[in-house]
Amino acid sequence: MITRESQNYDPPVNPVAALGRRVIEACQGSGRALLLLLGAITQLPYMFSRKNRADVMLQLYTVGIKSLGIVSVVGIFTGMILAIQMGLALRMVGQEGQIGTLVTNGMLREMGPFMTGLVIAASVGSAIAAQMGTMTVSEEIAALDVMNISVERYLVMPRLVALAIMTPMLTIYMDLIGIVGGCVVGATMLGVSPEAYWDNAFRYSYNKDLYVGVLKAFIFGLIIVSVSCYQGFSTKEGAVGVGRATRRTVIVSFLLILMLGYFVTRLWYQ
Amino acid sequence: MIRFEQVTKRFGSKVVLDQIDFEIEKGETFVIVGLSGAGKSVSLRHMIRLLTPEAGRVWVGEDCVSEASGTRLQQILSRFGVLFQSSALLQWLNVEDNVCLPLRQTTNRPDDEIRRLAVENLKRVGLEGVGEKMPSDISGGMRKRVGLARAIVTQPEIILYDEPTSGLDPVISRQIDLLIDSLRAQLGVTSVVVTHDLYSALGIGSRVAMLHEGKFVVCGTPEEFIASEHPVVRGFLQAQGIDSLQDIQKAFGK
Repeated sequence: MITRESQNYDPPVNPVAALGRRVIEACQGSGRALLLLLGAITQLPYMFSRKNRADVMLQLYTVGIKSLGIVSVVGIFTGMILAIQMGLALRMVGQEGQIGTLVTNGMLREMGPFMTGLVIAASVGSAIAAQMGTMTVSEEIAALDVMNISVERYLVMPRLVALAIMTPMLTIYMDLIGIVGGCVVGATMLGVSPEAYWDNAFRYSYNKDLYVGVLKAFIFGLIIVSVSCYQGFSTKEGAVGVGRATRRTVIVSFLLILMLGYFVTRLWYQ
Repeated sequence: MIRFEQVTKRFGSKVVLDQIDFEIEKGETFVIVGLSGAGKSVSLRHMIRLLTPEAGRVWVGEDCVSEASGTRLQQILSRFGVLFQSSALLQWLNVEDNVCLPLRQTTNRPDDEIRRLAVENLKRVGLEGVGEKMPSDISGGMRKRVGLARAIVTQPEIILYDEPTSGLDPVISRQIDLLIDSLRAQLGVTSVVVTHDLYSALGIGSRVAMLHEGKFVVCGTPEEFIASEHPVVRGFLQAQGIDSLQDIQKAFGK
């Protein structure tokens, strides 16, 4: 059962106790979010079952297809901004022809997964938290619990599958769109021909860059689903609580994406 | 059927249930009344393990629901159907799919049979031809009926009603009351109703209990309830303009 009673503590007696309580609650929250994720992972064998496949397909569509528009816009402008900033710097040393290499490496290694993670956290993650939060305050989650319907299987697992598959796929798409954006800026602003741009783009890029970027995106997908579902299920106090859960989802997801992104980069590019 | 044994529950410093003991017999309609915040819904939630007591135990038959877990808890919960105060319908499913949901997700029955049972139970609660509508397209009273159809589609032994008439006009409220009464007669289920509507309570209840400051101040038949001299009960009866049972029982055909 997902429905959990909120903890009832006496008010903290001093600031140190209040701080200690916050730390304990943060640790408990992290543990519960992780258990929720593990619970959903154990339900993965049912993703193609008659009871769940329609929900999985719906979530794949919602996360993947419905995010294409925003990912396209963010991707092309990210690539163009990278190209302008790096191109202008490289022009000072007469190396603007190398812009393809820098944009491609930048997109594949960092900006592609990072920007996709942020876009998905802000759009899909917040929507999941708001939906789960509303379901919690309107007793729908309690009703599922009482009907013996596993919330991990019915609600979390389809979203886990969708985010674990679609975040890496959208990242690859954003990488491509961003590199195209860089090419447009190179050709129109920096005088770099598309042939030279694409030649440099792939000459100094390695499969590892793509794989590590995709791995990051996969991790970001897991972060978003566990944070958003946990925040949604922990919602209290009606509409205000739903707003709070949505805000926390975006903030916590952004922070974890930044921090884990750094550690994955550090691990693979020492 | 359901037994509370010295159950205590508090939220912060507020004691909501204070060592309460009571037993609900099989087949009866037990109604819990009380002021807002008296702990009526808290009692109900203990029966289905949405809350756990700080002290004491809650029994359902021979099983201690407050200590059960895993498959045992699932077996206990499968004996219950619950009508939540907000109806708790899933907003992205239409009426029929909402009623089908528990059977689809917890059994391997063929879909044709599940749909037939859903239509049958919607008909039982007086709803026909609304299966394709979304919950947002129907009235509050109809949503309660859909919630009730979903609660009974799994053929539970016990049905819990959390404020079944709250937010409804008096005419619809009476219809819901009569439906609760007829379901008890048709299905032979044990019913537990939480309400602040004394007219409903005295009309449908075989026993009525009043919760006040964590204790039951009276628990008995509607006749015993209305004869109680407890000041809180008297105040409650006066506030709702009830001084005799005759009119109520007549309205409920008793």
